[in-house]
Amino acid sequence: MMILLALLLAADRPVIDLSGGRVQAYPLAMARPLGAQETSVSVQSVLAQDFERSGLFKLLDPASFLAPPTEGLTNINYARWQAVGAQGLVKLSCDAPGAEIKCDMRLYDVAHGQELLHGTYQGPSPSMRQLAHRFADDVVRFFTHEPAIFQTRIAFVRETETGKQIVVSDWDGANPQPLTGASINLLPAWTPDGRTIAFTSFRDGAGAHIYTVDVASRKIGPLVLMGDLAAGATYAPDGLRFLYSASVEDNTDIYISQTDGPIGRRLTDARGIDVSASWSADGKRIAFVSERAGSPQIYTMSADGTDVRRLTFQGNFNQEPAWSPKGDLIAFSGRDEHRAFDLYTVAIDGGKVTRLTQNQGTNEKPAWAPNGRYILFSSTRGGKRQLWVMQPDGSNPRQVTSEHLGASDPAWGPLPPPK
Amino acid sequence: MTESGHQSVLALTPRTPALPGVALAVLLHAAVFGAAIYLPMLFDRAPPLRKPIIAHMVALGKPRDPQLLPRRQAPAPSPVASAPPKAPGKAPAQPAQKHAPTRQELMQRALAHAMGKATAEPKEEPDPERAGSPTGSAAGTAQSAEEGEAYYTAVHDAIMENYAVPSVISERERLYLAAVVVAWIGPSGQIIKHEFEKKSGNAFFDQALELAIQRTKLPPPPPDLARSLRDTGVVLNFRP
Repeated sequence: MMILLALLLAADRPVIDLSGGRVQAYPLAMARPLGAQETSVSVQSVLAQDFERSGLFKLLDPASFLAPPTEGLTNINYARWQAVGAQGLVKLSCDAPGAEIKCDMRLYDVAHGQELLHGTYQGPSPSMRQLAHRFADDVVRFFTHEPAIFQTRIAFVRETETGKQIVVSDWDGANPQPLTGASINLLPAWTPDGRTIAFTSFRDGAGAHIYTVDVASRKIGPLVLMGDLAAGATYAPDGLRFLYSASVEDNTDIYISQTDGPIGRRLTDARGIDVSASWSADGKRIAFVSERAGSPQIYTMSADGTDVRRLTFQGNFNQEPAWSPKGDLIAFSGRDEHRAFDLYTVAIDGGKVTRLTQNQGTNEKPAWAPNGRYILFSSTRGGKRQLWVMQPDGSNPRQVTSEHLGASDPAWGPLPPPK
Repeated sequence: MTESGHQSVLALTPRTPALPGVALAVLLHAAVFGAAIYLPMLFDRAPPLRKPIIAHMVALGKPRDPQLLPRRQAPAPSPVASAPPKAPGKAPAQPAQKHAPTRQELMQRALAHAMGKATAEPKEEPDPERAGSPTGSAAGTAQSAEEGEAYYTAVHDAIMENYAVPSVISERERLYLAAVVVAWIGPSGQIIKHEFEKKSGNAFFDQALELAIQRTKLPPPPPDLARSLRDTGVVLNFRP
């Protein structure tokens, strides 16, 4: 009878649905680093910056920590870390014997009192930042089960006194390396293997044409020298084809070419300009900008140029589409009724437009991180045009570059090959 | 010799037949077990609708032209959210984020205003381009309201205030996570006990639910619900 009563009572329980809990950064404590202090502190600093910019973690104030600074890498007093609100704990100890750095880095789950990750990372001294990025990658991959981007590189255009040059740097803007001289060089685009960057240049004095530069050797070679204007190359995910825009007989259209083939094939054939092509992650469709309806709007088409669909209907100047690696969104810049350029996303299914930036200068040229978790873009919000990174909902904006005269045209490189 | 009126004590006495008693016992047991098995099926239907009241105040503003690009409702983050990258050193501390009022706080403020007990609160310039209705409230949060049972609204809102999904769980995983918790609520509003009827399978999500329930402070339930909430409990269906 008791069983029956319990079953009857359970059947009569009211039900409350709770969904839409606010997404909260994971409270993470980074303990005082151990080992060789100068090296350990430097590694910890890079690591902290990665965690903060990721938007996934809330780093706790070290001033609040209750654990003694002498607490080692192991034998953790979890209660003391729990008392300051930590759910995760990072501990590291680095040594720098000679020209090598060796770091022992660990991640603990404070709530359950257990070690989650433990690794030894080592390399030559100049790779100090890379060691930190590797551990940050491992931590994010552990939680999200997705690849992380801390070891990726970005390309962008640096403003100089005499022109614009193509530069590559770490994802956080560190280690910038110029790849070209300072003629007018624009619109960098990575090959999927990350070895080559295509860019548009006025370097030959005969209009704008497309060139490639080998990232390792900085050797430059021509890619498309067609007509007076060929610009905006973008590689297919298979790396075998690329798209670009070219102007022939006063009509600018999108062309497709094999990377080893000499002549491109025209994909669009409408009145008005068709530019700014962007591949979908599966390489089956292409987003682009067209003026065919009277104002620049975002369209998509099949990779063979058929099945053209208009995607944006709000606003009268939408440009620079960038298809997300997850395939569900296209980021673009649009001019609103205040004539300000801001960033938006449009859903592939349903066409819902979501605004990402507002009242913060001019925001343009969105470029997705290869894991789809971040958008890199140029913004004048801090004064000079610089690169910023934010999450796809517009949250957690962080400045990436601090170029003297400014930076623009970002392109995010591929993920490093799995080891 | 006449027949004696006495019966021998050795004679067999007619006994009450055993079969009906056994049959009755079997029938009773069968009824109990049958009820235990089949009655829950009868009751295994959607529980009575006890939706919480979701009371929204309609935002003050004017309808936005659908041809225009959308605007964000919340103020944009500070343009100086962080310093540019520097040489290795101490990471800069983040400025404190302004606490956005919860729906409950907005309701309390509105009630306090209505009762003339409002304390002075900082005035904020309304966004002139905010979408809404011409007759809406500057503190409005949405455009429609639904009816339901008030105490469950309080339970819903109180838990939601503490319900935080760890950002380290990927969006893809969030699509599939779900957990069911039964909570028993005492007469003073304390959660007497809770137990997972179904865990999500993600330890970080389940830990976040534990924290949310531990941190939740509920008002005392009304007399008509107090007994059932104490004895029967309430089912909390969590989704990210």
